[in-house]
Amino acid sequence: MSVNSELARLLEHPGIWRGTSVARTETLPTGFGALDERLPDRGWPRSGLIEILVSRFGVGELTLLLPALAALTRRPMARWCVWVAPPLEPFAPSLAAHGVVLERLLVVRAPAAHKRGSPNGILWAFEQSLGSGACDLAMAWAKRPRTKEIRRLQLAAERGRTLGVLFRPQQAARESSYAALRMTIGPSARGVRVTLLKSRGGVRGSVELSLQGCGT
Amino acid sequence: MRPLTVQPMNDAVSELPAGSPSSEATLLRSVDAAGAPVDSPELWIGVHIFDPGAVSLERLATSAQRFTPRVSLVAPDGLLLEVKGSLHLFNGTDGLIRALANECGTAGIKPAIALAPTPLAAMVAARVGKPFIVTNAAQLVGRLSPLPLTPLRWPQDVVERLARMGVRTIGQALRLPRAGFARRFGPEHLAELDRLTGRNADLRHHFQPCERFRRRRELTYELENNEALLAVLAPLLADLGKFLRERQCGVTELECRLRHRHAQPSRCILRLAAPVADVARLTELLGERLSALTLPEPVRSCEIRSGLPVRRVLASNPLWQPGEYGGSGGPEAPELIERLRARLGHEAVYGLQMLAGHRPENAWSTREPAAVNGSGAANDSGSRLALFRSTQAVPAPPPWPAFRRPLWLLHAPQQLEEIDGAPRRRGSLRFFGDVERIETGWWDGGDVGRDYYTVFDIYGVQLWIFRERAEPHRWFLHGVFG
Repeated sequence: MSVNSELARLLEHPGIWRGTSVARTETLPTGFGALDERLPDRGWPRSGLIEILVSRFGVGELTLLLPALAALTRRPMARWCVWVAPPLEPFAPSLAAHGVVLERLLVVRAPAAHKRGSPNGILWAFEQSLGSGACDLAMAWAKRPRTKEIRRLQLAAERGRTLGVLFRPQQAARESSYAALRMTIGPSARGVRVTLLKSRGGVRGSVELSLQGCGT
Repeated sequence: MRPLTVQPMNDAVSELPAGSPSSEATLLRSVDAAGAPVDSPELWIGVHIFDPGAVSLERLATSAQRFTPRVSLVAPDGLLLEVKGSLHLFNGTDGLIRALANECGTAGIKPAIALAPTPLAAMVAARVGKPFIVTNAAQLVGRLSPLPLTPLRWPQDVVERLARMGVRTIGQALRLPRAGFARRFGPEHLAELDRLTGRNADLRHHFQPCERFRRRRELTYELENNEALLAVLAPLLADLGKFLRERQCGVTELECRLRHRHAQPSRCILRLAAPVADVARLTELLGERLSALTLPEPVRSCEIRSGLPVRRVLASNPLWQPGEYGGSGGPEAPELIERLRARLGHEAVYGLQMLAGHRPENAWSTREPAAVNGSGAANDSGSRLALFRSTQAVPAPPPWPAFRRPLWLLHAPQQLEEIDGAPRRRGSLRFFGDVERIETGWWDGGDVGRDYYTVFDIYGVQLWIFRERAEPHRWFLHGVFG
């Protein structure tokens, strides 16, 4: 036992890399213990792009992010949390009841296709937010981003030290993606079932979470 | 004081009879009694404005600069003009004073104007309000003597103490022994008397008007596509950057005008949240705007005009990167909003706030994005904050438990189809939890009586629906828990 704990302490050393982990990254607890255990470095990455593929809009994907959202906005030097093209209006009183500081939220309404037939306005606004360095978190609801565009988003998120969350329909699970973390979320008997499709240095597989009563 | 190279005219030294019509001719005829030229190197016009609220002093000073470059402000209600060098351009003192009075008249004020060899004397005499024109330094003390002490605006107790001694006019004050005067009333008041009579120099700051940047470039060819516009504008923007750097200013408004052969000029106006002096950033923002512009015709010339330059307060950058440990949102935060707004429009970017209201649709509203950070960088430049000032105090968090209300609200309740009185949406709905009644708004016409239920649809999405209390008891979808 003491040897094990000694070993565990030694393995905590940031200079030691193991096969299952890439370089340690700064993370943020998700607020769900069962999910934390499966994610690399036990939480959402602080920078980089993650993809959440939803079976239906509203199945619980925002509740999954709420504890992180509340924690990020409550930090003393919090940056923006940007919502790019949310499908409905975020209900401010409910967010506040979950402990989210509303002053740090920024909603951006962008057209899917810009007038000149040029790049998607949503993805453009998302990339600007990710790469600006002014945001802790940027979330976007986009229909069909191309693989190349996701690569750009991932690079922008790393440049701006921002956690980017891209919500897409579940059908996108078949496509490959450059996102650091990909997961699907769907309903289950107890709450939601989160399946990790891709996670650098984490464990794949699914976990069932009860969303009620989490967070604050 | 800056030496002026204006030679005294031999005999243009005279004290004009107050109020009498005079001209250059009378000036030239009157010769000093001693025959020797006694002249002061400077002549000051004092302008006293009786109602200073009517017009801004800066605007008046700017228009007064057509008479002389040396204009200084005497806040809150006075203006001083050094006019020695420009007298001959306006046909002498009378012509100049008349022209100045006209200028003030067009601005809508009727000032008192006095002329004297020292600025303080001109100001004091103007405050008295009686005609006062002295061009000869030797006569200054004599003409000042009968004036009361009050226009000097000394503290009340000094004036009262002097009055108790029987000293009520400037002349009487000047006759007091200097050492005793300084001891009793303070050396600063003695120094002021010295400046009044010209014994000591009186240095004044010259008023610098705000300038705007405006530069135009004619093209030797006709430019058709938007992409090349930025390249054409680059030298103008480089000039703008130099202009702003020299003045340590930034702009909050920039206009780009593109002229065509026949059509009206295309205009592209850039408004910024905080003063910007960085040309690269201005170019980027302008590029966004120009790319969205549709040109009616090829461009023949382009012009850049700035709004009023705003003095920039430069904050030092933090040691930490944004997002790292104690790093802040930093200057990137307003930049991001500007960049998004430049392309998507002003209304497309907003913040959220709670309102005190029980109807869900009245419990929130959009707002201007909040200030960058509560502390540090955000506080030092007032202009940056002007846009972001919060309009309303934030109400306390709502009293109901967090999971009672959805995270998403529909823009407007959406009516649900019904089968045998049971609501349906993409299939049957499974009811869950208890009912919440919201009945309010009878006082403002937005009367609602609703029973809210939480339901799951067949896809496992949790919805917030309500049933009207009044006939015909329709069902509506109002929110998604998300």
